[in-house]
Amino acid sequence: MADPALHLERATVGYDGTPVLHDVTGQVRAGETVALIGPNGAGKSTLIRAVLGLAPVTAGTITVLGGAPAGARREVAYVPQADTLDLQFPISVAQVMLMGRYRRTGWLRRPGRTDRRIAADALDLVGLAERARARFGTLSGGQRQRVLLARAIAQQPRLLLLDEPFNGVDAVSQDALLAAIGALTRQGAAAVISTHDLALAHLACDAACLINRHVYGFGPVGEVLTPALLRAAYGSQALELRGDRVIVARP
Amino acid sequence: MHAVLIAPFTAPFMGRALGELLLLALLAGVVSVFVLIRRLGFVADTMTHTVFPGVVIGFLGGGPGGVFPGALAAAAVTAALLTLLTRSRRVTDDTAMAVLLVAMFAVGVVLVSRRASYRADLTALLFGRLLAVTPAQLAQTAAVAAVVLTTLAALAKELRLRAFDPQTAAAMGYRVWLLDLTLTMSIALVVVAAAQSVGTILVVALLVVPAATGRLLSDRLAVIAAVGVVATAAAGYLGLAVSYHASVTHGLRLASGGTVVLALVALYLLALLVPPARRLATRAAHRRRPPDAVA
Amino acid sequence: MPWLDVAFHRALIEAVLVGLAAGLLGVQVVLRRLAFFTMAMTHATFPGVVVAAVVGVDLYLGGAAAGVLAALAVVALSRRRGHDPSTATAVALAAGFALGVVLLSAQRGFTKDLTAYLVGSILTVTTEDLAVAAAVTAAVALSLALAGRVLAYTAFDRDGARAAGYRTGAVDLGVLLLICAVVVTAVPAAGTILTLALVVAPAGAARLWTDRIGTMTAAAAGIAVTSTTGGLLLSRGLDVAAGAAISLTATGCFAVSMLVGRRDSLLTRWRARRPAGTARPDAGRFPEGG
Repeated sequence: MADPALHLERATVGYDGTPVLHDVTGQVRAGETVALIGPNGAGKSTLIRAVLGLAPVTAGTITVLGGAPAGARREVAYVPQADTLDLQFPISVAQVMLMGRYRRTGWLRRPGRTDRRIAADALDLVGLAERARARFGTLSGGQRQRVLLARAIAQQPRLLLLDEPFNGVDAVSQDALLAAIGALTRQGAAAVISTHDLALAHLACDAACLINRHVYGFGPVGEVLTPALLRAAYGSQALELRGDRVIVARP
Repeated sequence: MHAVLIAPFTAPFMGRALGELLLLALLAGVVSVFVLIRRLGFVADTMTHTVFPGVVIGFLGGGPGGVFPGALAAAAVTAALLTLLTRSRRVTDDTAMAVLLVAMFAVGVVLVSRRASYRADLTALLFGRLLAVTPAQLAQTAAVAAVVLTTLAALAKELRLRAFDPQTAAAMGYRVWLLDLTLTMSIALVVVAAAQSVGTILVVALLVVPAATGRLLSDRLAVIAAVGVVATAAAGYLGLAVSYHASVTHGLRLASGGTVVLALVALYLLALLVPPARRLATRAAHRRRPPDAVA
Repeated sequence: MPWLDVAFHRALIEAVLVGLAAGLLGVQVVLRRLAFFTMAMTHATFPGVVVAAVVGVDLYLGGAAAGVLAALAVVALSRRRGHDPSTATAVALAAGFALGVVLLSAQRGFTKDLTAYLVGSILTVTTEDLAVAAAVTAAVALSLALAGRVLAYTAFDRDGARAAGYRTGAVDLGVLLLICAVVVTAVPAAGTILTLALVVAPAGAARLWTDRIGTMTAAAAGIAVTSTTGGLLLSRGLDVAAGAAISLTATGCFAVSMLVGRRDSLLTRWRARRPAGTARPDAGRFPEGG
């Protein structure tokens, strides 16, 4: 069998000798969608950074697509939160889309005809083909998130990393995001989605990784997102409903 | 008409001054776009002050010919120190820049203040001698423009990605610090190139106002850059013509560098008056490609 | 001869007063990230001073008028499309300074006046200058004493402060006006560059020693006064420009704090570091945690 898209073996991640995440073990296979669940400050972004080779692994190993994280970046696409970007920035949706092709275009060259076609197809996949010429900042929050996902899809990645993609996103955009992620994973890519939304994890993910400084569970959604484990990971932020269900309070 | 618009520039020193300004317009018009999208207004201002001790040391050590290498060395020191100073989480970028700016500028002042011709030297170094531009300086500016514009053209798409979305740029494997250093050194080169003609302090206008003017009129980076270049070139011409006529016809001495900057600011104020509906981008976008094409 | 009639004695008093005002207000400037705004004010008040000198009005009045105009311009331009505060500030700085330079160049004695404006002439302060400096220092101290809590709250958590009923816009404007007042007072004596040094460097240094705003403000004022008086004495001893000597003393204090301060200095970071090879990531600006 081929290498898993992502393999973590007792990985500890931290800066300046202070570990943020301890002893993470688990794997994500090709075609799989994994929800990364945990409270604020749990280390979700740090884990994503480590998978991108941007945070130091101080013990254990992280293997991405069979190699070191930094070496796999060309095959890995990252989707930032739309609300971290500058709405005034003078850039069109089409230009944002082409950014997904930069690493394949290389230095000194401009994106060519094929790059434009791939970018246009990806934008069409999230249902925003007609907004290509609009300025990025004029789109709604959900639409901006869809463009960022489409840009990642235009990278033709084998591993997709999404940082809280459903924050403040409307229902239409949420459906479009989920459909596009589904289309990508059906072609064999793996996806890791960091989120607070337990219902979405149940709905759209094959597996879940529950973390808060260390792993509370990593496996099928139904086995990981149980009231007992959620209470353990979230502490007082977990609220119990009718004895058998748990919701987590967003801070 | 001819006497007002063209005659002033038939004098060789005026022609050279105009040539220098046109070169700087091309250079600064483009660089200012990156200053705008990276919000580096304060970095540009810091750079204009921190190259000063380099200019002084170069001048004291090697005369006019030493100014360029001296300024370049000071710019490199600035870039390195800025990186070092901002590593403390408690010292914000702007505090670090302000401290570096005053410290290095003060070193320059101390060095100059030990000379007998203190005031005249200081004024020349800070405000430049636009009307005393030599053919050698013109060649120097042209060389700097060629180097900087080639570099920025080659890295334009990466620099734009870094400005728009630094997280994804890092995730894609770009070395963000290297892109930043490239841009900082480009800004430094503009300051160095303009220091002797426009003067270090007024350079900040050339690094900020052109793109700010373009931004008022367009949402597209290429258009912003074009507007910036044209506005700066026009301001260079206007400023020189105004200061020439004020001096020759009315006996009023106006600092030529300052007049050029004021002309640029006047064009910026004009752009402020343009209503949003008449922006270049809106019209250009409708005229451009068929709706199904991307970019 | 009365003590105050000696130029150097007046300079010493001016140094103490300007140091106090700048140091006290500096903490607000550093916490609110207004260093570039302060820089812009030092340059944008210039045309007001020139016009006042030509027309024959009080120089402080001219400077203050130009400063208020520049502050309003920065606030207004920041709201234009695609103009972040640093662009708006840089435009105001460049426009104001160029106007000052052109106006001044039409006068005689261009070179001398311009140099004085940039590096100051603390040895020529008059008794009237001292009175103005004392009044502004008192105003700054009084404002901080009365509104310290509000200033800290609005600087730390704008939205929270607004929700709690504070008028954050009015508070911001108040801070900008105080900066304007300090700049207008300090520039004639200290010059543009030194004024920035006195506002930012002592507060930046104090921040490396303590986390409490009150202690920080007192420390900043202390460092600023030490820098002004010490720099003045140094400049007399070594025969260098007074403004530059004071700037270098203030920035020297900052550099020392950066090296050995108790909070997050290079020394504390070096001590906290583990011997193992924990290289820093190759890119900054990424959300930590969460």
